[in-house]
Amino acid sequence: MTAMTPIELSQMRRLTVAQGDSLASSDASVIFTTVLGSCVAVCLYDGAAGVGGMNHFLLADPAPIAGEDAHLLNRYGLHSMELLINAMLKRGAARFGLKARIYGGATMREGLGDIGRRNIEFARKFLANEKIPVLGENVGGTSARRIEFRPAAGLSRCKVVSSKPVENIIVKAPPASLGDVELF
Amino acid sequence: MSRRILTVDDSPSMRMLLRAALTEQGFTVFEAEDGVDALEKLESLTPDLVITDINMPRMDGFGLIEALRSGALCAGLPILVLTTEASDEKKARARNAGATGWIVKPFDREKLGAAIRRVLH
Repeated sequence: MTAMTPIELSQMRRLTVAQGDSLASSDASVIFTTVLGSCVAVCLYDGAAGVGGMNHFLLADPAPIAGEDAHLLNRYGLHSMELLINAMLKRGAARFGLKARIYGGATMREGLGDIGRRNIEFARKFLANEKIPVLGENVGGTSARRIEFRPAAGLSRCKVVSSKPVENIIVKAPPASLGDVELF
Repeated sequence: MSRRILTVDDSPSMRMLLRAALTEQGFTVFEAEDGVDALEKLESLTPDLVITDINMPRMDGFGLIEALRSGALCAGLPILVLTTEASDEKKARARNAGATGWIVKPFDREKLGAAIRRVLH
């Protein structure tokens, strides 16, 4: 693929993928960007459809569900991945055409336990379960990362950065609408 | 005798999570990966309830509900939709197609179990 000039890059629309977000696009003028500490971002791409997506999640619910597998399939990470995949399918991606890259999961400071490692393990486990091939990873370590992803081209770039991202390490209360049931 | 539930979702991870949550509450769980797979399994399975996702390849949840409601054998089978979708338009579409209820992911195990027991009562 032809490298983009700085002018072209400067004309692109940068969309920040904040913690909890899942974005997808086939717009060639869009770049998704995020800064990760112990959080993980998964970039998905379907080359045939020219659709890409990125999420940004932190496993905020440490309560085991039932057994090790279910524990890893934490509902927040799972929800984030499902939102991402659904957003891509709505834009024309095919589930069986998806390929992935995993970023983040650093250990940012003492006392946070193994949150970063658990986030990485979750992403790997989820993608293996879903039979989505992982083309690459840049994970772990002790430094924050800035990720840029061009969804229409499936191109990503990862840089170690000195500034630390703002991370909500506090265990989140479940959203009020969690599991809302409406019987007809 | 434990009640039998067919879960329909294209995500193996979500099916695994549902299986864990439902078996823990005493239900017997069967799985299908989309609407087409569910219809094939329902030729030999007789569940008490179906829980289906909406966004799936081959046949989505709306198609599955319509197919089940058009067949005499499954006309009265309770169908709960479990989805990330929250739009009123899609909810109305499911209701009009014959869904029994609508649950927004991520699900809460206790709320899900209570809804199932209420529907099956």
